[in-house]
Amino acid sequence: MSRVRRVLITGSTRGIGRATAERMAQEGDEIILHGQRAEDVEVAVMALGGRASAVSGISGDLGDRAALARIAERAGDVDVLINCAGIYRDTAIGAIDEAGWREMIAINLTAPWLLTRGLLPGLRRRRGVVINVASDAGLIGFAGGSIYCSSKGGLIGLTRALAVELAPTVRAIAICPGPVDTDMMRQSVAKAADSEAARRQWNEYTHLRRVAQPHEIAAMIAFAASNAAGFATGAAWLIDGGVTAGRRI
Amino acid sequence: MKFDFSGRTALVTGGGRGLGLAIVKALREAGARVAINDRTPAMVDSVIERLGGGDDLAAAPADLAANGGPECAVALALEAFGGLDMLVNNAAVNIEAPIEAIDDQLWDLHLDVVLRAPLFTTKAALPALARTKGAVLNIASELALHAIPNNAAYVAAKHGLVAMTRALAIELAPQGVRVNALCPGTMDTELMRECAEASGDAAGYHRAFAAYHPLGRIASPQEIASFVLCLLSPAAAFMTGSAVAIDGGSTAGRRWEG
Repeated sequence: MSRVRRVLITGSTRGIGRATAERMAQEGDEIILHGQRAEDVEVAVMALGGRASAVSGISGDLGDRAALARIAERAGDVDVLINCAGIYRDTAIGAIDEAGWREMIAINLTAPWLLTRGLLPGLRRRRGVVINVASDAGLIGFAGGSIYCSSKGGLIGLTRALAVELAPTVRAIAICPGPVDTDMMRQSVAKAADSEAARRQWNEYTHLRRVAQPHEIAAMIAFAASNAAGFATGAAWLIDGGVTAGRRI
Repeated sequence: MKFDFSGRTALVTGGGRGLGLAIVKALREAGARVAINDRTPAMVDSVIERLGGGDDLAAAPADLAANGGPECAVALALEAFGGLDMLVNNAAVNIEAPIEAIDDQLWDLHLDVVLRAPLFTTKAALPALARTKGAVLNIASELALHAIPNNAAYVAAKHGLVAMTRALAIELAPQGVRVNALCPGTMDTELMRECAEASGDAAGYHRAFAAYHPLGRIASPQEIASFVLCLLSPAAAFMTGSAVAIDGGSTAGRRWEG
């Protein structure tokens, strides 16, 4: 039995990050949860604490570079960095502005970069893994997604660059989920004029005629981080219900 | 192949040298009026002077890394021509550095010039492009399709640019505006020569990049520029959201060097 791995998961108080934390805690990993707000992190740590060998939490705004440096410092050496935190705002090109650009790029692209750079000495020492949770939107475009797609496409590029440069010591993999039943999606559905129709539309968007559950993405993240995936690096794994495979007419 | 761009107008960012300048020359030779963007008025004026001046050239200097810079470049082009048919987002920076040496400033510079500027020039030019059913061409890179070491900020930004191209292609298609990305391999430009010099072994750097491309050489900016004309022309009228590689085969696969 190998030693317990230390795993930092950003954005892990809910959604895919939370499901990943639960999954990897079950597998015996030491989990460092992260969320923007301290109270959310506290709740998540308590919820997870009973089930895992060791759970701790760090809070901080990933759009704030000083906070990122603090998070990296407090996390210490980790075996697995999972950059899961992300934000989405629908922005038609006529409505984009500097602030909106900077916010989404900072959290979705620059934060994974800065955390990786900050944690790199430990990742090298531990022959670790960086998992970046990108999106199918990094590979296909949609209206209103110019900033989001830029950030996620950039994250896939960053993953490839890390994989090529950090091999053979550190692996890097991008996970590209399609639509997932998270708070992020529920909020967008709730905002729609006809929520029922919006939900149906999301289900119809995939070939599997449903959206993913967070645990289905978490399972693939956990696998990517495991030794069983030890030959995988630089890859962008699509877990999208077939969305990027093609279209029905 | 000859293309006729008479009566049409273009803005080329980073048009003062390298591939940008080759695109400016090619568009002009094909009859287009071209607004040239580069960082400073002096840089743009000197390029226009070297090109012999003329009513078919306009200056659109602006620092694309600065807030408001992309919008300024577009405003100058629109002021000169009263409209716009083609926007070529060509300006880039590429400063090689290992991961540990990429500081915040270097990261931000790549994201601002390579990724943010094309989005905000497109936003500013969109009303004009929608009127002319125009085209946007984003000059990405083969490094938008795969990676090499010591270039993480550039690779990330160029990948993002291709993803942005696809998003904008879908969004702007109903307005008849095409958006594509061109992904060139290594070209014999000033930028490439600077990288070669910075490496400390310029000749070795050139040899390595020639060997890296399956065709055994790097590209001339002129041959890339002629493909740019094709993508901007009616020959590519059904093409939108594409990321086209013109890379001497470097992203197609690997040769086994036994």
